[in-house]
Amino acid sequence: MTQTSVEDDRELLARAQAGDMSAFEALVDRHEEKVYGLALRMTRSEADAAEIAQDTFLSAYQHLSEFRGEAAFGSWVHRIAANNALMRLRRQKVLDIVSDDLAGPEFTDRGSLAEVPESDWSKRADDKILDEELGRAIREATDALPEGYREVFLLKDLEGLSYEEISEMVGISIPAVKSRLHRARLALREAIDAFYKEV
Amino acid sequence: MGLSRQSHMFNCKESIDSLLPFLEGEMSPEDEEHLRQHLNGCPPCVEFVNTYRATSGLCRKALVKSMPPEVAGRLRAYLRSKLETK
Repeated sequence: MTQTSVEDDRELLARAQAGDMSAFEALVDRHEEKVYGLALRMTRSEADAAEIAQDTFLSAYQHLSEFRGEAAFGSWVHRIAANNALMRLRRQKVLDIVSDDLAGPEFTDRGSLAEVPESDWSKRADDKILDEELGRAIREATDALPEGYREVFLLKDLEGLSYEEISEMVGISIPAVKSRLHRARLALREAIDAFYKEV
Repeated sequence: MGLSRQSHMFNCKESIDSLLPFLEGEMSPEDEEHLRQHLNGCPPCVEFVNTYRATSGLCRKALVKSMPPEVAGRLRAYLRSKLETK
């Protein structure tokens, strides 16, 4: 979000805090896509994502008077949405954090890469349009991550939350957050690498 | 380059294990130097670093989700119904 947008948010927020419902609706307009996207990525359920978006903005409205503007409004509702999504995931199931079968690079006994990458596909990340098959492979690989790793990866690399925020939300230490993030990235890198080896 | 310095040069595994602090600039200067020495002589690890770095961007593109208009409409109606009764 640009600096101007943040300033516009502040103005809308001030009006909403003074009771202007249309200003609050304008804030919802600006941030609903991001909130819904986060919720859908986290829960993989459109119904849950819609409910999380509703709960998030209702909660934001109910706590408007407490919001002092130290952070941007967008970051604030984003954190509320992330918390709501995590709570819903925890209610639905015991989190599967087993990581033994997480993919990653293999090494020789001397610590050298056992398999040399066939090509450096990093440049393709700059392509504007993502190959449809690659997109599917990435979504499948993300879905296959153990839940505790998937949520850390999504919260950090997709939603841009800080390590401190994730640590607090997920209830694990910052080094554990970093470890899970690294393992998740390695697994996803392997999946993308495997895709490019096949095509 | 002295022998003791050589003996500290990272192997591939140590280099890849250190990627996250390396990319975030959180390594000690000594470890960063050991890692850079390894990368200077290991093209596969350079490719690995490049592709590791590109992974998040590709995932962001693959996992973009947009809000259907009808969901946005329902959200608006829900909030109005809740807030008007307050």
